[in-house]
Amino acid sequence: MNDKETAAIADWSCTVNGRAVALQLPQARRLLDIIREDLGLTGTKRSCEIGRCGACMVLVDGAPVNACLMMAYQCAGRTLVTIEGIANEDDLHPVQRAFLEEGGYQCGYCTPGMIVSVKALLDAKPNPSFEEVEEALSGNLCRCTGYGGILRAVHRAIEEGQSRP
Amino acid sequence: MLLNRRNSGERWRVRPDGPGKVTGALAYLTDMDVPGALYALVLRSPHPHARIVSIHTEAARSLPGVAAVLTHADVPGLNRFGIARQDQPVFCEDRTRYVGDAVAAVAAETLALAGSALDLIEVEYEPLPIVGDPEQALLPEAPLLHPEGNILHSKSYRSGDAEAIFGQCAHVVEETYVTTRQMHAYMETEGGLFVPGPDGSLTVYAPTQHGFMDRLQLSRILAMPERRIRIVSSPIGGSFGGKDELNVQPYGSLLAMVTGRPVKIHNSRRESVRSGLKRHPMTIRMKTGTDESGRILAHRVRIVADTGPYATLGAEVLNFATEHVVSAYRFGSVDVESISVFTNNGMSGEFRGFGGNQAIFALEGQMDRLAEAVGMDPWEFRRLNMKAADEPGPFGQTIARTDGLAKVWAAAADSALWKERVHLDISENSDIISTSSATFDPKRGGGDLPLWKRTGIGAALVMHGAGLGYGIPDPSGGRLALRKDGKIEASFGFEECGQGLIATLEQMLVERFGFAAEDLRIVIGDSDAVPDSGSSTASRATSMMWKSLSLLQTPFTEKLLTEAANCCGLPVQRLRLGPGGIWDRESGERAIGYPALAERLAEPIVCEASTSYPVPDTDIVGAHYLYSYAAVVVKVEIDDLTGRIRVLRQFHAVAAGPVMNPQGYLGQIEGGSSMALGFALLEESTMAQGQYIANNFDTYLIPTIADLSGPVEVLAIEDLPDGDAYGPRGVGEIGSVGLAAAIASAVRNAAGIFIHRLPIDPALLQEVMPIGQWAVMSDER
Ligand code: FES
Ligand code: FES
Repeated sequence: MNDKETAAIADWSCTVNGRAVALQLPQARRLLDIIREDLGLTGTKRSCEIGRCGACMVLVDGAPVNACLMMAYQCAGRTLVTIEGIANEDDLHPVQRAFLEEGGYQCGYCTPGMIVSVKALLDAKPNPSFEEVEEALSGNLCRCTGYGGILRAVHRAIEEGQSRP
Repeated sequence: MLLNRRNSGERWRVRPDGPGKVTGALAYLTDMDVPGALYALVLRSPHPHARIVSIHTEAARSLPGVAAVLTHADVPGLNRFGIARQDQPVFCEDRTRYVGDAVAAVAAETLALAGSALDLIEVEYEPLPIVGDPEQALLPEAPLLHPEGNILHSKSYRSGDAEAIFGQCAHVVEETYVTTRQMHAYMETEGGLFVPGPDGSLTVYAPTQHGFMDRLQLSRILAMPERRIRIVSSPIGGSFGGKDELNVQPYGSLLAMVTGRPVKIHNSRRESVRSGLKRHPMTIRMKTGTDESGRILAHRVRIVADTGPYATLGAEVLNFATEHVVSAYRFGSVDVESISVFTNNGMSGEFRGFGGNQAIFALEGQMDRLAEAVGMDPWEFRRLNMKAADEPGPFGQTIARTDGLAKVWAAAADSALWKERVHLDISENSDIISTSSATFDPKRGGGDLPLWKRTGIGAALVMHGAGLGYGIPDPSGGRLALRKDGKIEASFGFEECGQGLIATLEQMLVERFGFAAEDLRIVIGDSDAVPDSGSSTASRATSMMWKSLSLLQTPFTEKLLTEAANCCGLPVQRLRLGPGGIWDRESGERAIGYPALAERLAEPIVCEASTSYPVPDTDIVGAHYLYSYAAVVVKVEIDDLTGRIRVLRQFHAVAAGPVMNPQGYLGQIEGGSSMALGFALLEESTMAQGQYIANNFDTYLIPTIADLSGPVEVLAIEDLPDGDAYGPRGVGEIGSVGLAAAIASAVRNAAGIFIHRLPIDPALLQEVMPIGQWAVMSDER
């Protein structure tokens, strides 16, 4: 926490992965730091810190957001979901399963953000076009896979979504 | 076999490290935290070249919350590091030579305090003239960056008298190829956690590709015996060669030892760009001549590499490039001279492909140009000049024989993409069409393509050496054990950088020994727990695991079966290893489970193997013995209005021995080639006056999903000659090499322009056809 921030410490609350969270923190604290440091949820990654890579992607009221670009006051009172909150109970989310089965990852550092973006896309649009997939994932950089496995995983997740009643 | 999930059947497996990765539960070393940890930052030189007049740290030290401020005066051991040659200062004493050079480091209670402390360190610099270009560094009047001069390393290889033979050549092609500084751009920046022990020991949790090398280097710096340092080096959020050399480890380690408290460092992207390694920019001048029929008679190459301020593996990269500008062609005579030069630019060093990327771009460019000069199909031209399986390697050394080169050549020739090109070339040259319209171009427009877009197909051939090469110690090995808890434990000193090493090891153990995945515990990346297997670099880890397991198979199996036979009172011959335990061949039942067997043993069963990477019988340092081969065919689309190139389709034929892990193999080729795509089309870490211009992903562009949405086919050619003793050759690098050259070739095919510089400048392609001409052309059609 930065000294300049300490001046403006205030109550902050949110729902994070279904749990109510109340913290005292500076209103300008980055959501990324709240998640990783204050809440210890390190599945959300830090990479560029300027909104270019998507490693820090989380859902804020269901919409994908780069946590490195959002400040505490901007998300106070909202519903946040991080990669740790994507799975249903003890079962993986279908998008996670698709990544696992198709091998949509290598080092895995981009993977949480990527999965969050895919989930956001498929929640909003269960049967997106190829262009819509491209657009939705253009803000998630992956240096390892060349995106081949990621595209296969997304297509599998789409197909499986369709085959569910 | 075309690699995909369907063709792989049961061999397509879920990676053991997958669940942790898709759920975010896997803690990377930069995610680690312990209570009471300090935050560290490093103060680096703002000047690419300067004399340090004075350093004052008093104000920073006295800031409350600051635990330590270190400079060169605080290094107990060697104030230098470097894998091959220790010439890079941990902290600069009196001179800085690039903008990543460290001058001081701070540990404080919070990151913000550490930042404030950095601001309070006063360093007075006297800027010195900047050597910003390797050619400039070679001028007699250039400032000397090191007492021995500005040349890190030179390498030459000569066979025959090329110079004399050019006169007899029917066709001679001369070109200068330029490649720029490419960034590894691993998503996880450098960092880690450094924990001092109460007994004066130190545990380093920081990504690296060779934990034991870090341990050696840190022991020199800390003046501490290696046995008191433990390196946990895995998992890694991407490395590609970039984290093999030390980066933040000296600072974290020194601060932890001085303060006696755990220390965390995690580089910002800007810090990573500034201090980290990049791919060597190279200027490669080639002159190559053939006879009337297209046989190459002479090949002359001059390479100048910009190695930046310090050695790291610059010499080894240059050796590799020197070898690969020759590669697998039969040149009548060869004359290569290469030089790697110190500058005040960013650090160049190890990067996936290791100098092969630049070399192959140049070499394959020559092949295309020569084919045109001779009037031959470029692929046929390559076949005419390719070496046969039993011919020597690039340096004239004996190499392991395979038919890989001929096979990848044939696979490319046979590919749908290359056939499409041949077909187009024929229709383009056919009289009937060209007389009907002088400007008709079968590559332009047509189908869904607007008139201002055209397509082209190109190909490139790659030979890639694996292992560190002759003259560099390259030992390896591993261990198998049946532990007390009943687990079969496989220990290797390798790291998981994302390549799927853990999955590959698991798959080898399952397929070779018959174990079930649940029987296994895989231990890697921890210097206290594993044998030294050498580095997880140079496409060597899969080969070395395979070799070690081959050596371990008989002794380990025999020990397990003998002990099981004793326990069960059955003859050894009736027993075999299987999932969950040892099975009776006759009854088809499990005779004893591994846990039950382990419980009855007084001592665990342990077998170790040591081996080393094969090298050729030669005296040429860096010469390789094992090679893999690839042919890449690519179709591109060029937009004449923007000059932008899109890769539409890729075909890769790779001959690297048997596929150990289909998902991993496919991923290495797809992922490697995406780096080559970036190298060809997007990526350039420009420097101006020794300063990086692009500091993050807003200005340094790497491929996105939209750049790589076209199909990628990967054909694995697995055959090896009978009696081959070396098994799988690694595929960690070869995918990153050929695509750039193939794209350049496809651009020539589409737009008639020869590319000699990467990344390809879109402005070049816009100039081909001024926009005004379109109206005329469409009228004619
Ligand atoms: S870290 Fe937030 S977008 Fe890169
Ligand atoms: S898997 Fe490594 S960055 Fe995507």
